[in-house]
Amino acid sequence: MAYSTGAPFLLHLTLSRFLPSALPGLTCAALLLALVCTLLWQIAGLSGGEATLFASLGGRDWALLRFTFFQAALSTILALTVGLALAWALSHQRRFFGRSLLVALFSSALVMPTLVVVLGLITVLGRRGWLASGSETLFGVGLPFSIYGLGGILLAHAYLNGSFCVQTLLGRLEAIPAERRKLVRSLGLSAWQRFRLIEWPAVRGSIAPLATTIFLLCFTSFAIVLLLGGSPRYNTLEVAIFEAVKLDFDLARALDLALLQLLVCAVLVTLSSRFRVVDTVVATNPWRFAWPDSRAARALQWSLITFGAAVFVTPLLAIVVDGIGADFTRLVQERSFQQALITSLLLASLSALLATGVALLLAAARRDLVLPNRLGARKGASAVASLLSFSALLYLAFPALVLSLGFFLLARQLPGGLTLWASVALLVANLLMALPFALAIFGPALEKIGARHDQLAFSLGLSGWQRWRLVEWPLLRHDVGMVLALSFCLSLGDLGVIALFGSQDFATLPWYLYQKMGSYRTDDAAGVALIMLVLTLTVYLWAARFQRGGYAQR
Amino acid sequence: MLSVENVRFAHEGSEEEYHFHLTAKPGEVIALMGASGSGKSTLLDLLSGFLMPLSGQMLWEGKAFQNKPPEQRPCTILFQRDNVFGHLSANANVALGLPKGKHDPDRIEKALEQVGMAGKGEQKAQTLSGGQQQRVALARSLVREQPFLLLDEPFTGLDDDTRHRMLPLVKAMAEDHRRCVLMVTHDRQDAQMIADRLMVMDNHRLVEHSL
Repeated sequence: MAYSTGAPFLLHLTLSRFLPSALPGLTCAALLLALVCTLLWQIAGLSGGEATLFASLGGRDWALLRFTFFQAALSTILALTVGLALAWALSHQRRFFGRSLLVALFSSALVMPTLVVVLGLITVLGRRGWLASGSETLFGVGLPFSIYGLGGILLAHAYLNGSFCVQTLLGRLEAIPAERRKLVRSLGLSAWQRFRLIEWPAVRGSIAPLATTIFLLCFTSFAIVLLLGGSPRYNTLEVAIFEAVKLDFDLARALDLALLQLLVCAVLVTLSSRFRVVDTVVATNPWRFAWPDSRAARALQWSLITFGAAVFVTPLLAIVVDGIGADFTRLVQERSFQQALITSLLLASLSALLATGVALLLAAARRDLVLPNRLGARKGASAVASLLSFSALLYLAFPALVLSLGFFLLARQLPGGLTLWASVALLVANLLMALPFALAIFGPALEKIGARHDQLAFSLGLSGWQRWRLVEWPLLRHDVGMVLALSFCLSLGDLGVIALFGSQDFATLPWYLYQKMGSYRTDDAAGVALIMLVLTLTVYLWAARFQRGGYAQR
Repeated sequence: MLSVENVRFAHEGSEEEYHFHLTAKPGEVIALMGASGSGKSTLLDLLSGFLMPLSGQMLWEGKAFQNKPPEQRPCTILFQRDNVFGHLSANANVALGLPKGKHDPDRIEKALEQVGMAGKGEQKAQTLSGGQQQRVALARSLVREQPFLLLDEPFTGLDDDTRHRMLPLVKAMAEDHRRCVLMVTHDRQDAQMIADRLMVMDNHRLVEHSL
């Protein structure tokens, strides 16, 4: 990002001026890195050293690695294609009833509880799902495909990640300057030429970072593969680690798999660190055409929107329809449900506060290290800034199952009991999970505020709390709300860490739902899924509604 | 002859109404002036088809064109910025103005020569200066051969020297190719340099002024 702040006018100021705002963030980054190193040490220490490294892995495990790569690559291509097609169609159709809600729903896919989405997809596309029943009634035959296996995994990944792409790519497309759009229209260029000349260049920069993020998310995908994999043939490393610990009690294999997973993810994250974190672009002056596209282009746009909306909304509708039929009176009186609900709400609230606080501190430190008017011009600043950004991306290199395995091993040596360490593991995992997204929101925002207002703020002597209250907070509060909501929802729907720590005594809503699905208590499962869906959508859509206003002010 | 007859326009949700009425002959350069937000660019957007009038008619040689889409209107528009695609060569940018299947390298070369860009056709537009990019855009409007040219402050932001070399190009284009030019500007000197008439947006209406 280029800043038009001219010469570095504050270079004469001493380092100590910026230490109070940079130091807390730097400390957080150091603590996160230290924690991860400790957990890694735990895993590596118990794996028995180099001599037996990967000794427990056989041919089927390398096949597992190949499949994990394969499904992640296919999922990424599929998700990007879906996201780009929908974003393109929506960028051309700017006025229709429900458009804002549809876009908000697509963007909520990021925080949608995976289990709920999977349950919705099974309800629609499962062996006894809506589509199969309809097909049997109408044509006397069931569906020619099964939701279980590679197809189901790809579909669920494309559903969640494709929708997540829509918001980012749509923001880029809507930010194309009005003059550009007018120019290509006045030249009479075809829809394809327009895409090639102005739309593709606008989104091109987002493709690589989006692809990397989606690939890593799919590579470390757990709940989807666990529920839709169907057979060991379609397992990923993450699920194999879970099975090794939870089902086979083969700790040596789990450790080797975890190290393999860690190695691959670390390489991928390092390779991808050259791509900038995807930041959101929002058009401040969206252009509305007086002249619509050609009939063929409009038909394609409407087909894409209708199909995309139908595919996205139907599984959610299935959750609502099935959930309404649940016996809520009995469900809410169940002690295990009450416990799971309270644990989930408590952990999600704490995680949201923790993630927001840490992300703000990291973003403030990054701003100080990046802006040339602050410490950005100093030697080594960009290297420290990169390390700081890496600390926020740890979750991608250090997946939930590996993290919880580290905590699981640590808990056996430390006092406090498994429940305490399970809570700590969940909090840390949720924090790490939310950080990449939180920093992507706070980072560019704080840098923009700094670049624009530093000169005036310094000349007026505004600093510390006073500056935060008068400058940053009014311009950031919408984003703070968004990050709180995002972290809360991510935490509420996660089935990563709890999969290892979950028990009768310690459960969260996703774990409770997973248990119900596993024991074929479909009515209860539908009821819990509906509660999770309503909670997530209410919190996220409420925050998203208020966030848009924040961009225009900065 | 370009005729804008009693054209009324109001932005969505706004009660402020703009009124436009003017005629322009081929080869004539008309400067449009007025305060920011007075409606100068709105008139250009109406003429080029990016906004629809509430009522009134817009005609070229007696034929109404207000119901035609932007690409079928008898005009070419140049904006203050974003007139070229940086990743394309100057030649490719000019060629965008040619009808499908009528790619003629000689014509492109000649147009670039006319705007003083001979020999720079292969250069990527992003490597050219702001003034050179606007020249490329002007060359494109030459090959398009549309009878009227709309200029929405395309020379704002250029240094005086470059601007003073660009303006005569526009004047020559109007005279040699019998194009009618409507130029939005904030600079009275620019208007005096090439315009035949001056129209000012006053209280949301176009009023003729002396140069």
